[in-house]
Amino acid sequence: MAGVTVEATGVTVALRAGETILAGLARAGYAYRAGCRRGGCGVCRAEVTAGEVEHRGGVAAAALPAAEAAAGACLTCRAVPLTDVVIRLPDDARFRCVAPLLAGLAGVSTAAGPAAGPGRKPQPGSLEQQGEH
Amino acid sequence: MGVMRLGYVHARVTDLAEARSHYGDTLGMRLVHEEAGRLYYKAWDEYDHHSVVLDEGGVGLVKLGYKVERPEDLAEFEKRAQAFGCLTERMSKGDNLAVGDGVRIVLPSDHVLELYADIEVTGTETGTLNPDPFPRHLVGVGVPRIDHALITAEDPALSERFFAEVLDFKVSERVVTDLDGGDTIGTWMFCTNTPHDIAVINGPNGKLHHFAYYLTDWNDILHAGDLFAMDDVSVDIGPTRHGITRGSTIYFFDPSGNRNEVFSGGYMTYPDFPTITWTADQLGKGIFYISRELNERFTTVLT
Repeated sequence: MAGVTVEATGVTVALRAGETILAGLARAGYAYRAGCRRGGCGVCRAEVTAGEVEHRGGVAAAALPAAEAAAGACLTCRAVPLTDVVIRLPDDARFRCVAPLLAGLAGVSTAAGPAAGPGRKPQPGSLEQQGEH
Repeated sequence: MGVMRLGYVHARVTDLAEARSHYGDTLGMRLVHEEAGRLYYKAWDEYDHHSVVLDEGGVGLVKLGYKVERPEDLAEFEKRAQAFGCLTERMSKGDNLAVGDGVRIVLPSDHVLELYADIEVTGTETGTLNPDPFPRHLVGVGVPRIDHALITAEDPALSERFFAEVLDFKVSERVVTDLDGGDTIGTWMFCTNTPHDIAVINGPNGKLHHFAYYLTDWNDILHAGDLFAMDDVSVDIGPTRHGITRGSTIYFFDPSGNRNEVFSGGYMTYPDFPTITWTADQLGKGIFYISRELNERFTTVLT
């Protein structure tokens, strides 16, 4: 079973078989900027800095050009890790724990602190304390 | 003479099998024709041959078709579009399945719009003689008809001028940055008696924000939302209400990420309808009246 680690947060979540990165992180109580969740808009893009993913389901070339996918970019709504992976989200992705209860249930490990804690401290001027509307 | 309504939306999808499940089983449109890489759908209360065409490969809009009253209107609209500075070309009967001669116009926003007067009329299941109010065995949401599209343009004011001057659309609502000579960042326009048959907001040229289906009322919107949950449809927002148009709504995504909407309510418009103005500082309320805040996706997720 593959796990996903979100770079610079220390958050690692064990994914279920066939689960996308976005779905697995959501199941574990974490949220970040996402759009259509169907591979069409590119908003949930991340860079895979270690490990390997496979996109399952349609991904529009306009949302993720093949060359960029080959260079390590993925759309997390469609990307299913084939190995343990490390991803880097954009600075403005506002990655945050929105449901500590779920983080606890999912057994999230964080390098920085307790499983139920926030993924990282808010950056000055960031919007990450704001909820998704 | 005049443009009567939005007749068809022609879009791209990454996967036809998933699109078939969404547009057919969840929304309940009827598949009327299929060919290699392309599906044609119609909704139950539409008399013409089709209203949604889906091409396999990519996402976004291929073109919008608007039906005009009379064949002779085409030449007049063509002349006006050319005078406006748009590229136009004639399309022949059969270029689009079941659609007659027409005029294809590249809008100032790079979107392609087709005008046509004739399309094969295949009627509805309920018919026009002592009809029942709806077909007995609707599937899923059972959408009755398409309603409007929202597209993005670098210069919405220019798009507004095009639809007004070339196609005789009227402006029902407009969002401006400033009441005193500010920029237009969004425009909602009608050619029917609905609040909008096309809308344009500021954004990249050539992109689709959403296309919408009309539902009868708020209860149907909620019912649609329930079905979206059952079918794991990716929901953007809603059910809620728009300040602009006053309609109730759910925005959701098809399996390729194109945004769809189910829309109901709104007011009636007439040629003497006064234009309603919104200021940009109230845009959140204008778009999502109840929460009064734009969600992040509203301006970022386009196909």
